[in-house]
Amino acid sequence: MATLSSAEQKDRGTYTPSEIEVPARTAWPLVLAFGSTLLFAGLLTSVSVSVLGGVLAIAGCVGWFREVFPHEHEEVVPILADETPITTERRVVDSFPLAIAPDQLRAWLPVETYPISAGLKGGIAGGAAMAVIACLYGLISQASIWYPINLLAAVVYSRQEARALTPEWLNSFHPWMFLIAVILHITGSTLVGLLYGAMLPMFARRPIVLGGLIVPVLWSGLLYSTMDLLNPVLGSHIHWVWFIASQVAFGVVAGLVVVRQSRVRTHENMPFALRAGIEAPGMMETRGEGENRS
Amino acid sequence: MSSDAMAIRTAEAAGRPWVEILHEWVTTVDHKRLGVLYIVYALVFLVIGGIEAVIIRIQLIRPLNDFVSPQVFNRMFTMHGTTMIFFVAMPVLFGFANYLVPLMVGARDMAFPRLNAFSFWLSAFGGFLLYFSFVGGSGLYGAGNAPDVGWWAYAPLTSRAFSPGHSTDYWTIALLVSGFGSIGTAINLITTILCMRCPGMTLGRMPLLAWLNLVMSGMVLIALTPLSAAQIMLLADRYLGSHFFDTQAGGSATLWMHFFWIFGHPEVYILILPCFAFMSEIIPVFSRKPIFGYPVMVGASVCIGFVSMSVWAHHMFSIGMTSYANAFFTITTLSVGVPTGIKIFNWLGTMWGGRIQFKTPMLFSIAFLFQFLIAGLTGIMLGSAAFNWQLTGSYFVVAHFHYVIVGGILFALFGAFYYWYPKITGKMLSETLGKIHFWLFFIGFHMTFDLMHIPGLLGMPRRIYTYEPGRGWDTWNLLVTIGALIQSIATLVFVANLIISYFKGRDAGNDPWDAWTLEWSVSSPPPEYNFATIPTVASRRPLWDIKHPEDPDSRYE
Repeated sequence: MATLSSAEQKDRGTYTPSEIEVPARTAWPLVLAFGSTLLFAGLLTSVSVSVLGGVLAIAGCVGWFREVFPHEHEEVVPILADETPITTERRVVDSFPLAIAPDQLRAWLPVETYPISAGLKGGIAGGAAMAVIACLYGLISQASIWYPINLLAAVVYSRQEARALTPEWLNSFHPWMFLIAVILHITGSTLVGLLYGAMLPMFARRPIVLGGLIVPVLWSGLLYSTMDLLNPVLGSHIHWVWFIASQVAFGVVAGLVVVRQSRVRTHENMPFALRAGIEAPGMMETRGEGENRS
Repeated sequence: MSSDAMAIRTAEAAGRPWVEILHEWVTTVDHKRLGVLYIVYALVFLVIGGIEAVIIRIQLIRPLNDFVSPQVFNRMFTMHGTTMIFFVAMPVLFGFANYLVPLMVGARDMAFPRLNAFSFWLSAFGGFLLYFSFVGGSGLYGAGNAPDVGWWAYAPLTSRAFSPGHSTDYWTIALLVSGFGSIGTAINLITTILCMRCPGMTLGRMPLLAWLNLVMSGMVLIALTPLSAAQIMLLADRYLGSHFFDTQAGGSATLWMHFFWIFGHPEVYILILPCFAFMSEIIPVFSRKPIFGYPVMVGASVCIGFVSMSVWAHHMFSIGMTSYANAFFTITTLSVGVPTGIKIFNWLGTMWGGRIQFKTPMLFSIAFLFQFLIAGLTGIMLGSAAFNWQLTGSYFVVAHFHYVIVGGILFALFGAFYYWYPKITGKMLSETLGKIHFWLFFIGFHMTFDLMHIPGLLGMPRRIYTYEPGRGWDTWNLLVTIGALIQSIATLVFVANLIISYFKGRDAGNDPWDAWTLEWSVSSPPPEYNFATIPTVASRRPLWDIKHPEDPDSRYE
């Protein structure tokens, strides 16, 4: 193990030492390794090879032992002068434009986000827009606003039960089906709204493109591949153009509502004591005081 | 290194007899020289293993070919697999770990320098012993020479009835000897990383390269011991009359499979984790951003280490395990994809929004990212028992693991060579030759291993000596072989670059990449003692702190 020479120990903390002790070169590990290999190789060739290997291995062990006992054999190496400074040509570093404090150049992104209420509002507004489009589709295609509502609520029916549902039944009002559809729709809309509230600040440049177009299309693609499993009735009656239109309506309205809300600071950039709600004098050291103290 | 100091060293070296210089190298206990020895040794075996691969591919280039005999073909794929895993991939990764870990943790050497030398020489002599089998393997029987039982040496093929002579024994003893060397190096790395970090370098500030080598070394200790035990049991079966793997006398061939794969699958992670380490150092520097999600990267690495210990039997789905065992090993295999996926996302997150510099190390790193992703996806396919039953033992599996080993490990290694060669030699590798090497190898790799999946899907078995025409495999095998030849040419360009740049390359200076870890704070190549004064660090990027005192990382960590 490399150790400090006596000169270095004496000068540690004040000067760069002029020499350093490092482990001395030795052939004994090589001799031991070669001997061990021959010891094994002799099993496949000749006993004399194993005997030679054994002798070399013992010699290697003894030599190695004498290398480290009673004192580790070391050699002194002079220190070579190296005056090369540690520097960079890239002195200028782009600073974050929304720095949270004048002297703080970095931050956890996003620095600000929307409150939970923004996501709830967005979800409810988007859900209303989606419902309008869906009912419009029902009126145009089946002359009944209950048609899309019954299709959504039909998630409770299995594939076999779904076969018994007639067009007349799907176009008529059923209180339980209405209740199920409303619960499903409100729950889904508010959850997705909350997701929008959390995600839109991460895509700050074009939130409406993300929320109004990309996410609805991705979501529709996911449902396209799983609809027959999730809701066989809806899967067999769905009109995908109208469905995607309703998803986009949700996305655009929810996105617009969310981005119109005022933002709040995220907690990640605050000191731990502040995040933990600890109020005690002296807990937080101001940077100015710290720098002046020497 | 300052130019004056380097000039003094060069002049000193030029004035001394070569025997003296050779003596310095063979008796060295310096971690850097041992690292270089590991790397050079692995490169020699890379060329040998590569030649064996080319012989295999030439044999398969067309139907009913007889370029080599079936016996030689068997020896070639056995020696190719054994060489590449045990005498190329492991030594080269240990070489980089040896060279870099003490420098990166601010230590003057490994914890046990003499053990370090002993471990290297054991590994080296193990490789020589394996290749001595070409001369000495026939023993008294005149039956064959080099091992021909495949690199996993399944029982009962290894019994004396089916494998007379000493060829299998050379395989067994060579791996046993080199395995002891690997265990020694692993102990050394663990001790160095845990006990010799410089002041201020807490575990939370340790470079990811050190973290990943710590996990890898722990895995070596756990995974190599069953293999060593199995080798001793096999020798006992062959010469002392025991029956561990003798199915005719109450033994179990499946027992060997378990012993081998409980080593064999973690071995893949033992090899890939240091490559993750290279990626975690190279990608941030060439994206000019700190690594994204350092704590999660550490957690994912440790998680991979644990989970990968419980997946081995997915190599054995086709032997007829219980449905519970199949389900367990399918689930554990698929679950490894989670921490691995986290790592890939974090590397992409590091690149996202960065000012990416497309230097040669970064090109290899980017190729690694998407090739390793594809390798992982075919791994997910094969990790599912039902899918595995259809394709196990086919060229699809060969294509999958070569995608991991070449597309993942070798690409990462090439990236590491281009990144740290300036530190090791003081000279820059040629960017022009580097880019030629990258594009040739990239094209050759995809031509070989993308297309190799297809004959596998068409039913071509692995290790097949030759095949009848008209099975739909002919064209694919021709293209695959052409791809292998392109890779060989690319490798020659790489070797030429190493040699030419060593003598005529541009001086690197201490810090040619404007990097942030401690090895770049010392001269290139570093002095024998590494650091004149032991550094003190205050963040994960100590050199950034020095270069940017107005905005050090230490303010935020």
